[in-house]
Amino acid sequence: MRGALVIFKKEMKAFLSSPNFLLVCGLMVTILSWVFPNALKMFEIQIRSAMFSGGFNNQSMNIHYGLFLRHLSYLNLILIFVVPALTMRLFSEEKKLKTFDLLLTSPITSYEIVLGKMMAALGAVLFVMLLSAIYPVSMAFFADFNWGTLLVAYFGIFLVASVYTAMDLFCSSLTESGIVAYVMAVIMNVFIWFVGMGVDIVDSSTARAIFEHISLSQHLSSLVEGTVRTTGIVYFLSLVFLFGFLNERVVESARWR
Amino acid sequence: MVEVIGLTKLYGENRAIHDVSFKVNRGEVVGFLGPNGAGKSTTMRIITGAMAPTEGIARVDGIDVFENPVAVKRKIGYLPETPPVYMDMRVRDYLLYVAELKGVPKADLKKNVSYALERTQLTQVEKRLIGNLSKGFRQRVGIAQALVSNPEVLILDEPTVGLDPRQVAEIRSLIQELRGQHTIILSTHILSEVEATCQRVIIIHKGKIVAEDSLENLTKLKSGTNKAIVRVREVERAQKVLEEFAPGVKVRKGRLSDEFEISFAGQTSGHVMDDLAQFIIKNNLGIVELRLAHANLEEVFLSLTYGSKSSDQLSNSVNHVEEVTL
Ligand SMILES: Nc1ncnc2c1ncn2[C@@H]1O[C@H](COP(=O)(O)OP(=O)(O)OP(=O)(O)O)[C@@H](O)[C@H]1O
Ligand SMILES: [Mg+2]
Repeated sequence: MRGALVIFKKEMKAFLSSPNFLLVCGLMVTILSWVFPNALKMFEIQIRSAMFSGGFNNQSMNIHYGLFLRHLSYLNLILIFVVPALTMRLFSEEKKLKTFDLLLTSPITSYEIVLGKMMAALGAVLFVMLLSAIYPVSMAFFADFNWGTLLVAYFGIFLVASVYTAMDLFCSSLTESGIVAYVMAVIMNVFIWFVGMGVDIVDSSTARAIFEHISLSQHLSSLVEGTVRTTGIVYFLSLVFLFGFLNERVVESARWR
Repeated sequence: MVEVIGLTKLYGENRAIHDVSFKVNRGEVVGFLGPNGAGKSTTMRIITGAMAPTEGIARVDGIDVFENPVAVKRKIGYLPETPPVYMDMRVRDYLLYVAELKGVPKADLKKNVSYALERTQLTQVEKRLIGNLSKGFRQRVGIAQALVSNPEVLILDEPTVGLDPRQVAEIRSLIQELRGQHTIILSTHILSEVEATCQRVIIIHKGKIVAEDSLENLTKLKSGTNKAIVRVREVERAQKVLEEFAPGVKVRKGRLSDEFEISFAGQTSGHVMDDLAQFIIKNNLGIVELRLAHANLEEVFLSLTYGSKSSDQLSNSVNHVEEVTL
């Protein structure tokens, strides 16, 4: 655990002092500053037309559904591309610059190496997500809304981002090239959304149940609506552990080549 | 302190080292000598636990590297072939990081880092980004990194590569100062480096240990060379005149235009250089330089592996390897 903390500290410092990290954050803020006001405008138009037609019971008239969920889906889309950018150098660069030998010959286990890197990547992801939270939180000036629901929804996205992080870090450990790691990671992030598509194409009910269980969107949907279900959390965490474990195997295998 | 038994490493089909066994005692400085591709780095990586052998055992202080890697790694400071430095870190921060990784207690961190900085004379650049340092300085950061945990065993893979001559001398004297406090294994393909720093030498060639001996024995091997290099001003006359120095003397053109290589027949007496100097002065050849031709690594290998005959044939072409690599 000591080793993991040392690595976490070092990588976190590296993130915060890296111009590339700040650039990524800046780009994300730029995009969100463009799309959030647009989403707000759309929400306003919806409410206005609802006022004229007199029907307010529609779910989409809730600020959580009408605005925040749209914001979160933009955020998710951005994270699919941003998380790989954060994780891509964590292992591949060490391999390329031969600094990996330093880690391999330090008195720490490969679990600690992976854990330290994972924590640092999650820290960076959390930082990015906190930046993105400025937009919904600023709405508190204009409207009253349910903070709990927003928080749970954000937690859901963070869990998804953790799955991205674990997968993308794993990709980084597979190659010496940062670019290859990035491309692989984006493909995996996109692909994982399509796994659940099996629900719609299989006939057998057991197969359908399986697909329902491994579908990312199924588990996310309850969270973003503000309901915490243990099965969902277990699902996301087991994915994180699975890729963390695979990652550890790859790190350990570096000794056996 | 360090014990290696029957190490073999296969890279796919390619056998990098084969049945390598040796022992290094506590406080000893041992040179690991061999030409490119001999398997020095491979052996060192196995001892440090960066890599597993295909077969064999490595022990440090009686602990098996593969049964208890963490305990072994605590005792080792390792400088790999490429210094494992992060370009975007500052020298001091980097050394602090390595010290923490190596499990140096919090109270000793500052002290150890300052010690490593001083020993490698990096104190002036401690605030600089490693990426902005020259290659030689990065190499020194690599050495500092190996020293920073004050390990019992130091494993240095070609520590003086890329350093200027003054630095080379300083690192060599540093290694000599560390003798006794640390057990040191250093690899090199420069014979004079072993002479300058080591008590014992292990010579490895094509993945096998061909000799493991104290330095005196190696020097004995060297004293068998009976060649002198001479540079003179009177180049035209020199060849003929020098051939008359003694019966059976062979004179060959050297690498430089005014350089000649003189091979004496058979065993020579201790005064041969005196005699040769007097002879050159007497004949007014205008002496510029006179020295014994040093046996180089190739010759040592050849004499160890195939006997001295073939070493004569080869020596002309590779006589100056030593200086060139320096
Ligand atoms: N990763 C690798 N994959 C395949 N073969 C390798 C690998 N590393 C080393 N080798 C081979 O193993 C042999 C020994 O290499 P090693 O690096 O140990 O030599 P060395 O004595 O350190 O040489 P040098 O003086 O050039 O550093 C060489 O023939 C080399 O080609
Ligand atoms: Mg080497």
